[in-house]
Amino acid sequence: MDHFARLGLPAALDLDAAALDRVYFALQRQWHPDRFVSRPPDERARASAEAASLNEAYRTLKDPLSRAFYMAGMAGVDLPGDGKTIDDPDLLMEAMEAREALHDADTLDAVDKLAAEARQDVQKALAELASLFLANDRGAIRKALLRLRYLDKFAEEARARRMNIDRSNA
Amino acid sequence: MAYSEKLIDHYENPRNIGSFDKTAEDVGTGLVGAPACGDVMKLQIKVGPDGLIEDAKFKTFGCGSAIASSSLVTEWVKGKTIDEAETIKNTDIARHLALPPVKIHCSVLAEDAIKAAIADYRAKATRKAE
Repeated sequence: MDHFARLGLPAALDLDAAALDRVYFALQRQWHPDRFVSRPPDERARASAEAASLNEAYRTLKDPLSRAFYMAGMAGVDLPGDGKTIDDPDLLMEAMEAREALHDADTLDAVDKLAAEARQDVQKALAELASLFLANDRGAIRKALLRLRYLDKFAEEARARRMNIDRSNA
Repeated sequence: MAYSEKLIDHYENPRNIGSFDKTAEDVGTGLVGAPACGDVMKLQIKVGPDGLIEDAKFKTFGCGSAIASSSLVTEWVKGKTIDEAETIKNTDIARHLALPPVKIHCSVLAEDAIKAAIADYRAKATRKAE
């Protein structure tokens, strides 16, 4: 059973976060091991397996980027794994220039501005990705996800850069 | 995890950081990335009239092993012909720097970067000849 089906939700990138929380917490109560302590061992085992699958489903679907990668797997999109390299010049040039700008940003304001722009790019890319999934355009999904991975890495590096500047100002 | 002295040396004192004009006819540029870890690496070669690589530069945003791998490659290719430079293998890089198994992919990135730079230089030379 896929994670969406387990939670009884439609398999869409544009997921209602409140609905996800609601069904997850309801099902989690239903399968909570405490409710099965006096039940036979096979039922206890089932409950514990269900609870573990639920947690896994919730963890995967809660974050939009992780949800997008999971949906790409469901759609059979081929993504490069560990140790695989890409040479898409547009994507890599964008990533290189963004990292250079971050490297040159030496105030918190400058870093925050770049991070805010990157967050907007992520939101925009996720919105576009939702329609790509509906159209099942695997090539475009792959390209968009690779870009999102670099944007995510940028956000991580921006946080690190912020901490460095903060520390040297202290 | 213990890193080798050579790796730490290349990481702390990277050689040949910088850029050439990527539109110049005697410059080949390789731009590659490893999306799984978000690394991006640019490696450039400048080829002299005698066909030897006279200079090389790199710019890498990634972990220490990726920086050291690209720094090492820029040192290795200087003075070589592009055919010789093309034979550099990621295993040579990994062995020289004693990269731990989880960092082998950084040397793959550096091999792909030099190959891409050579391919770019050759494509330019072919266009010029036509």
